[in-house]
Amino acid sequence: MPVSALPDGLPEAAAKTLHLHGVTLDHRGGDGRPFRVLDIPDLTISAGARIGLRGPSGSGKTSLLHLVAGLLVPDAGTVAWDGKSVSALPVSARDRWRRETIGFVFQDFHLIPELDVAANITLPATFSAWRIDRAHHERAAALAERMGLGDLRRKARVLSRGEQQRVAIARAVLNRPALILADEPTASLDAAHAAEVGSLLVEVAAEAGATLICASHDAALLARMNDVVEIGTVTNKSLALAS
Amino acid sequence: MNPFPMVWADIRALRWTALAIVVLVALAVAIGVAIGAQERALRRSSAAAAEDFDLLIGAPGSQTQLLMSAIYLQPDAIPLIDGRLLNTLAKDERVAALAPIAFGDVSRGYSIIGTTANFAGRWGRVQPSEGRLFAREGEAVLGADVLYKLGETIAPSHGVFGHAAKPGQVDEEEAGHRHEGHGYVAVGRLPRLGSPWDRAILVPIESVWEIHGLGNGHATEDVIGLPFDGQKIPGVPALVVKPRSVAGAYQLRAQYRQGGTMAFFPAEVLVTLYRALGDVRNVLVVASVLNAVLILAAVLLLLVAVAGLRRRRYAVLRALGAPRAYVLLVVWLGMALLIGVGCLTGLAVGALFTSAVSGLVEAQTGLRLAFALGSQEILMVLLLFAIGSAISLLPALMSYRAPVVAGLRE
Repeated sequence: MPVSALPDGLPEAAAKTLHLHGVTLDHRGGDGRPFRVLDIPDLTISAGARIGLRGPSGSGKTSLLHLVAGLLVPDAGTVAWDGKSVSALPVSARDRWRRETIGFVFQDFHLIPELDVAANITLPATFSAWRIDRAHHERAAALAERMGLGDLRRKARVLSRGEQQRVAIARAVLNRPALILADEPTASLDAAHAAEVGSLLVEVAAEAGATLICASHDAALLARMNDVVEIGTVTNKSLALAS
Repeated sequence: MNPFPMVWADIRALRWTALAIVVLVALAVAIGVAIGAQERALRRSSAAAAEDFDLLIGAPGSQTQLLMSAIYLQPDAIPLIDGRLLNTLAKDERVAALAPIAFGDVSRGYSIIGTTANFAGRWGRVQPSEGRLFAREGEAVLGADVLYKLGETIAPSHGVFGHAAKPGQVDEEEAGHRHEGHGYVAVGRLPRLGSPWDRAILVPIESVWEIHGLGNGHATEDVIGLPFDGQKIPGVPALVVKPRSVAGAYQLRAQYRQGGTMAFFPAEVLVTLYRALGDVRNVLVVASVLNAVLILAAVLLLLVAVAGLRRRRYAVLRALGAPRAYVLLVVWLGMALLIGVGCLTGLAVGALFTSAVSGLVEAQTGLRLAFALGSQEILMVLLLFAIGSAISLLPALMSYRAPVVAGLRE
């Protein structure tokens, strides 16, 4: 699991490599004054890597995930995927890139309680198509089975928390994303469910060959990562992370 | 993209708010529709009821009063005109047909109208649905809604001024003012005319005169109808004249506007009444528009509040890859759908309300008001839908522009 310094400037485009170069991100405090949340001279994450992000609350773990997902644009620097700058894309192109490339898993699951399990899993397919095709239905069913979800017609609101997060993971990987971002995926679960969901997340990412970036305080989950980055120590360091 | 799964989910998530929006919009539409449709129905029905009354002649007084008494059978004390005018007019070349109208008696609450068989059959336009028209004194033909059977004897009573009889009911006033020793036999029934005459019992004018001790207007007994050749022809409250031509109609009106008579076209009195009705309608329309504006403002506030409550939900969709247009459509279509359902519900409620009021008007007057949606109401509903949909764009655009990260952190 090499972690090495990189020279300044973008590297040669590597397939499905995530590269953050010279990235800074400032937030405004309660008094209106800006303060620096992230300062990443260089960070490269190779395809298929499983990377944990660790750090105290407010250290910028979630902000880093949002930067990678294109939900935030850095104040300076570049977030590049597959050799192309994501942060320079217009909003609609970033939306499409996110839809085609990223699967997001949230701490609080964020399912749509009024929809059933199947509709929640296939929801991302409705963002770009009027009808959900057969392949998506079959994949949703296969994922649900893989996650041990049982009856797909149950409404999300009646599921246990563990089940809800398993549905959220299935939703995140429906479109076979190359990059899975998980923000404290086990923080809202009890220990037993956390272990189960953590395992599923890692396994599903590995089966899909996807890069997994997981912000977490869960030591057991972080132990399953190829590498763990201490957010806060990223500042002023250049890192290259690979599987 | 297909935003409808999320549209349904959103509506289900806030079903009570959704219901409130539908109810508010339906209320605005229903009030507007009811006002417009009711006024139109009243105009149409009242105009239809006056169809066979081309020219009315009566004693000088209030035209409206005579119109209401002769056409809409609203009881009132009307002065009589000289019965000899019947023969004068019958000989007038400008007159195609003529009939006296005498009212005042009742039976089981139904007005008894003395006239000619010719006018009972509306100058030949109407054939009895059962039996036949009256052919001699003592016979009666029933309006469509009169609850007497053919062959039954009808006992007339003298109507009391200021007392409103209830059709179908014998009350104390009626029982106490019976014309003893007189009666009519029902020999026919008229088809429904949609007017207060459906609740009237039509009898020969001669019978009405005889019951009141005025003779029969003829030189011999057992004769009915024009001409009246008796030495004394009793007076009548109103004459209906069917002129041969428009010019003749105006000449007759001018001629009988003087010399102790009053002549007018019911249509011109109705136009005056409609103008007053229109003024009332305009006031109500303004009130309903203000009401609609207030309701739309309330709906807008609700929509903005709802969009605010769903910021995180929509931010999650964006984080999952939904384009901004998807979120805009989810919000806008949901709101537009609710407003559309509100408009349709309002139309239905407006129709029900109009029908209910029409029922009351019919119970009160016998005037049948048919609900008909006019282009004005349709335009009003479409306008309300368009404005509602347009204002729904505001919360939709708010959601469209909302920063995703801020929404996720809520």
